[in-house]
Amino acid sequence: MATDTNIAPSREFRDEVMRRGGADVARCYQCATCSSVCELATEANPFPRRQVLAAQWGLEERLAKDASVWLCHQCNDCTARCPRDAKPGDVIQAIRGIAIEKLAFPSFMGTLVARADRTWPLLLGVPLLFWVVLLGASGSLTTASLVYHNFVPHKFIYMVFFPVTGFATVAILIGAWRFWNLLGKGAARSGSFLAHLVPVLADIVTHRRFASCGQTVSRRWAHFILVAGFVLAAIASGLIIPAMYVFHVELPIAFWNPMKLLGNLAAACLAVGTVWLIMNRMDHTGRTGKATGYDWFFLVVIAVVVATGALVEVERLAASPRAGCLLYILHLASVTCLFGTFPYSKFAHMVYRTLAMVHERMAAPAGSSNQSVL
Amino acid sequence: MERLGLFLCTGCEIGKAVDTGGFEKLAKKAGATVYAAHPCLCSPEGLATIEKAIADGTVDRFLIAACSPNAKPLEFRYHPTKVAVERASLREQVAWTHKHGDEDTQLLAEDLLRMGLARVSKLHLSKPPSEAIDRTVLVVGGGAAGLNAAKAAADMGHPVVLVEAGERLGGHLATVKTVTPECPPYETPHANRIADLIGSVERNPRIRVLKQAMTKAIDGQPGQFSVTVAGAAGEETFKAGAIVQATGAKPYEAAKLAHLGYGVSPDVVTSGELEVMLSERKVLCPRTKATPRRIVFVQCAGSRDKDHLPYCSADCCATTLRQLAAIHELHPDSECVVVYRDMRTPGQLEHFYKGVQERTGSLFTRGVVKQVQVDGRLEVRVTESLLGDDLTLEADLVVLGVGMVPHSADGEKIRQHLDAKVRSEKGDSEVQRKQAAQLAEELKGYEGTEILHLGYRQGPDLPVLSNGYPDSHYICFPYETRRTGIYAAGCLRAPMDAAQAVEDGWGAALKAVQCIAALTRGEAVHPRAGDVSIADFFMQRCTQCKRCTEECPFGTLNEDEKGTPQYNPLRCRRCGICLGSCPERIISFPEYSVDAVASMVKVIEVPEEDEEKPRMLAFLCENDALPALDELASRRVEWNPWIRIIPVRCLGAVNIVWIADSLSRGIDGVLLLGCKRGDDYQCHYMRGSELANTRMTNVKETLDRLKLESDRVRIVELGRDEFGRIPEIFQEFAGTIERVGPNPYKGL
Amino acid sequence: MTESTRQPILVVGAGIAGVSAALEVAETGHEVLLVERDPSIGGRVLRSFQYFPKFCPPSCGMEINIRRFVRNPRVRVMTNARVVGATCRAQSWSVTISKAPAYVNDRCTACGECSKVCPTKVADGFNLKLVEVPAIRPYHLHAWPRRYVLDRKACSTNCKACVDACTYSAIDLAATEQQETLEVSAVIVATGWDPYPIERLSDLGGGVFPDVIANVMLERLASPSGPTGGKILRPSDRTPPKKVAFVQCAGSRDVNHLAYCSGVCCLDRRTPGRNEKLLTQASEVDGVKLVKGKVGRIERDDAGTLVLRVEDVESGRLLKASADLVVLATGMMPGVRTDWLPFALKKDDDGFAVDDPEQRVFVAGVTRRPEDVAASVRDATGAAARALAAAFKE
Repeated sequence: MATDTNIAPSREFRDEVMRRGGADVARCYQCATCSSVCELATEANPFPRRQVLAAQWGLEERLAKDASVWLCHQCNDCTARCPRDAKPGDVIQAIRGIAIEKLAFPSFMGTLVARADRTWPLLLGVPLLFWVVLLGASGSLTTASLVYHNFVPHKFIYMVFFPVTGFATVAILIGAWRFWNLLGKGAARSGSFLAHLVPVLADIVTHRRFASCGQTVSRRWAHFILVAGFVLAAIASGLIIPAMYVFHVELPIAFWNPMKLLGNLAAACLAVGTVWLIMNRMDHTGRTGKATGYDWFFLVVIAVVVATGALVEVERLAASPRAGCLLYILHLASVTCLFGTFPYSKFAHMVYRTLAMVHERMAAPAGSSNQSVL
Repeated sequence: MERLGLFLCTGCEIGKAVDTGGFEKLAKKAGATVYAAHPCLCSPEGLATIEKAIADGTVDRFLIAACSPNAKPLEFRYHPTKVAVERASLREQVAWTHKHGDEDTQLLAEDLLRMGLARVSKLHLSKPPSEAIDRTVLVVGGGAAGLNAAKAAADMGHPVVLVEAGERLGGHLATVKTVTPECPPYETPHANRIADLIGSVERNPRIRVLKQAMTKAIDGQPGQFSVTVAGAAGEETFKAGAIVQATGAKPYEAAKLAHLGYGVSPDVVTSGELEVMLSERKVLCPRTKATPRRIVFVQCAGSRDKDHLPYCSADCCATTLRQLAAIHELHPDSECVVVYRDMRTPGQLEHFYKGVQERTGSLFTRGVVKQVQVDGRLEVRVTESLLGDDLTLEADLVVLGVGMVPHSADGEKIRQHLDAKVRSEKGDSEVQRKQAAQLAEELKGYEGTEILHLGYRQGPDLPVLSNGYPDSHYICFPYETRRTGIYAAGCLRAPMDAAQAVEDGWGAALKAVQCIAALTRGEAVHPRAGDVSIADFFMQRCTQCKRCTEECPFGTLNEDEKGTPQYNPLRCRRCGICLGSCPERIISFPEYSVDAVASMVKVIEVPEEDEEKPRMLAFLCENDALPALDELASRRVEWNPWIRIIPVRCLGAVNIVWIADSLSRGIDGVLLLGCKRGDDYQCHYMRGSELANTRMTNVKETLDRLKLESDRVRIVELGRDEFGRIPEIFQEFAGTIERVGPNPYKGL
Repeated sequence: MTESTRQPILVVGAGIAGVSAALEVAETGHEVLLVERDPSIGGRVLRSFQYFPKFCPPSCGMEINIRRFVRNPRVRVMTNARVVGATCRAQSWSVTISKAPAYVNDRCTACGECSKVCPTKVADGFNLKLVEVPAIRPYHLHAWPRRYVLDRKACSTNCKACVDACTYSAIDLAATEQQETLEVSAVIVATGWDPYPIERLSDLGGGVFPDVIANVMLERLASPSGPTGGKILRPSDRTPPKKVAFVQCAGSRDVNHLAYCSGVCCLDRRTPGRNEKLLTQASEVDGVKLVKGKVGRIERDDAGTLVLRVEDVESGRLLKASADLVVLATGMMPGVRTDWLPFALKKDDDGFAVDDPEQRVFVAGVTRRPEDVAASVRDATGAAARALAAAFKE
């Protein structure tokens, strides 16, 4: 621990934590039940007690470079057992939200998404307006067709999604770089990044860490299915380009085409995962933390993407061109929103948590066991 | 005319254990004129035998040879003004714990009978004191405890005089706006209602309030205290039956806390000083007159610290919480930080802690404040904190949560100082005068610290146990002090919060009222409540050695100029420690005397040396050691049959002449079993066990000088629950006696 | 105190608070009726090993209190009794006391012949059912009144072994419940407390592992008059544990269990006032390690050792502490159940009873607030004063 630290409490930061879901942070009396019940807490750096204390005191700098904040899967074992009902799980969640905002590039985007409870019409409306204007200008709107690539030519898709994805990638990389440097200030690292990344990815793929969380076992599966959906969707989307341009598969792709099946499986996973998570969030028995506008925004956008995507496909079968096109525009707009806000929404935890997990491995002293014995 | 009887019970295996055939003859030889044996003496039929003998006038004193005095106490309850009764534990000390039909067992039973008969034949009937008792309760101190004590005593129908040194009543509570919550909801501070209480006390027709007044002299004894009070309106003297001292506490001297910045920067204040700012509804940094942006509360400032107050004052944590709430209301933008060692909000105050944390958003961390540096802005250096091992907090205002020091006076030390001063002038030798002068110099600080001004030989105030708190059995009998009829209440008695002080006032008032009632009935107060005997001093033989006046734990005895003891029966608790102290053996109680016990020693049959049957005597304190022995007997555990047991009121009530008598009669060893001594004493008379130990050290020295092995006398501490140790203690002692050999005085 | 009213004051419950209140009232000269459900006075303190901070045996102070009873003709102690009816009138209460059948009566000398012949064994309730005792037995060895008790329900039909063995006619197997109605002026309620059930602390192994025990049970195990004669043995295999873990504040200061602090247990090293000495002493004892932090979970490893998971707040490290025996310091719940009293008490949000001066009902001890013995005695004396003041008439 650093010596002779001049402690500068920040009320603003604490207020922000409280506003973003950690409303009961002041109740904590540092009994450490939370750290003791947390299955993910490690011997040397148990959490979330110290993080809750730092949040009470508004010690933003400390929290910014603390990887533990990101190691939490918000299973809420701690919240369920907290003797003061201070909801440590929610506090940590709020801290993560603030971190995403503070790491954001450009920063106004971070703030915009962070305030999603109020800015959501803007965040969803701009992409929608953009697509409407684009398609209006190109005349597609008047020629509603169930051959979607006639309705929205592929060049439009490329024109929009390549830059949006590129922007998001650059933005998240900048955030990731900032974050990595901050973590480095928190604890010295050793070893190779890549060598440690591999086991971390294995962890993520299997959701092994998530599995040890106690209170909300169902969330692990919901999350797992959702992640699987995204991965499958990415594979399916990735395959479609060579399919179109190298193998010249005809569009729309036949239902029994393996690629199509993969895409549909992805959609099904996404749908199940999203609904499951939303249901989890609606469960108010205290097992999950309280959802803020920020949390809802992310879930709702995914839900809209999945719902419109599925309906578009159903419409294609049902053959109602006007409704189909409308849904397609909504789908494109929500996907744009999802991609565009990726570095600022909860989606970003994908990157930050991965980095934190790698950092944790690189910072752990060699040969340390998980827990010391008294 | 003595009419002695022996009532023998043969039930509960007594009849099987020993041959009772010769007991009638034994009784006759001991002077008994009535003998009756019954198979169950405690049955209504058995009891009727005794009742009939009393009614017929054939006995006025008798020995019940049956079970222990702790068994069937209600059945064998006789009024000590009508008959003198002793009990011999043939069941517990013989039948249940020794081999039936054995010769040693028979000898033991016969000895117990002889000893009991000898004792009871020396007893007298009690004559209860009958004195005029004043019903007035004097309450000294008008804070929360004192006001409540006054109200409680008045509500119980007693006249009350409340003496307050200050201009106003209310004490500490009158200086605060809000109080720690004492009933639900506990989340926020409650309004201070002390003004209502002050009003009701001042209007109460039974209570006379004397403000700006001090007790100048309290003479006499409880029930008849003559109290002189000097006040604004001059001096007055009145009678009082009992006293509640509720003189409260003072804050610990913050000037001793320079390392925390007190006295170095005006911006370091005590919680009391903050309270004044809060009552003026304005918290400003004294130096800059600006509203502080950050206030750091340092808890346990000078408390739980061996260099300052070793104890916890119990109220500072809650006070800080209360002040946090008040500051939050006045200056919501001021940030408050609390550095605590442990937040101590016991019981339902847990809700208060949570409520204040939640409502004010104040910051808390465990930590030890090493130093407050004054360098422009204040810097609070904290170690071992939750936030790190070594950190600095800047502050505009630092509040020290200082503890409380009882506003008491150490009566015994004041007296020692006075004595030393006198000796330094009138001492017998130059050396003595010099030593006395040195002692007087050391104790100079006690000069003029009197509060009650008691006219007691042992000093003008209550004796203290530690840290200035009155000497007391503070767990089981919290109000008891070492001055009969004077009860401590509130923060004087123990560190406590306002709610507890209120309760304390009521409790102490009850004890005062109870004392007056007991004295009116001619009875002793705790712990021998109901005892109607008083001590008798055969003054012709007194040598003015002053041991009794010095050793009585309760300051019962005063002295005249020559040093002659003056007994105050209404102060007396009947412990018998004076009896134990007297080398001239002139002090006795009707039911307990040097003569009675000495006569027991005399009738023990001591076998000749060649019989190889040593005899040992054990004096057992009747409060704890004897019940422990009885519990052991209930478990049918055998012990050494060569030991004879004599119950005593207290080890302090053992006169060393009994030991001398025993050894000169050829008894091989004497064991004393009594309560724990030291700071955590369990002696019910507080000092008895301690005094016995000192006396035994002297006895051992004497024995060594006489070339009689000092190992023959041993004193052992025994807790009430340590019955399991008794056989081992006895056996070990028997081993020691075997080692040192038979008493050379045997057979002389 | 003028003896202005002849009606006694009723004290319900003869634990340390009830005993103190009854004696304090009686020693002022007022009549007292003390009603206790158990066969002996003493309540929970006589089940404890030692008082803190003096480490003295509770039986020591109780011994003096018994003497006070013996010397005081104004107090009537009714054990094995409960209040079954109570009506508040303008000046008095009319109360009905039900006395359990006196299978063993006052003629009992506690000689023990009946126990020797009793063929039936029952779990010893006084020793928290840790041992078996004959159906007829002493309630405990310093019980007062000192009389045997019979667990009549356990008797086999037609067994009269004890009756035949008793030479004092002290046993009456046909005894019946007796009721008595009398007038009292005021009521002091001192019905004590119940320990928070450890079964509700299953995360800490309460009710799951036999070697996770409550503090009240440890007190019995440590007591020389307890079931093991003062030897602390593990319940599972009756061997002395090498390492004992004390889990403080188990289920207290916790909104999921008891929101308040019981004031006697203690997590935050809450040793207020004089008790500070206790903390200093405890931390100086060799082999004692105090860890600040709430224990989150207790599990049992394959070797059968109990493993506690706790974060040491002071070092900021997560520890796994192993122990052979775990003692959960559970809190106190006010004993104000309706089957204990036939009338409704005013209660606060935590369930503790509060004084009702209008009806002349006063509360003492842990029934009123969570507190230690010294505070209970203090409050009992205060309650005695309030009851006397309420009963006082010019």
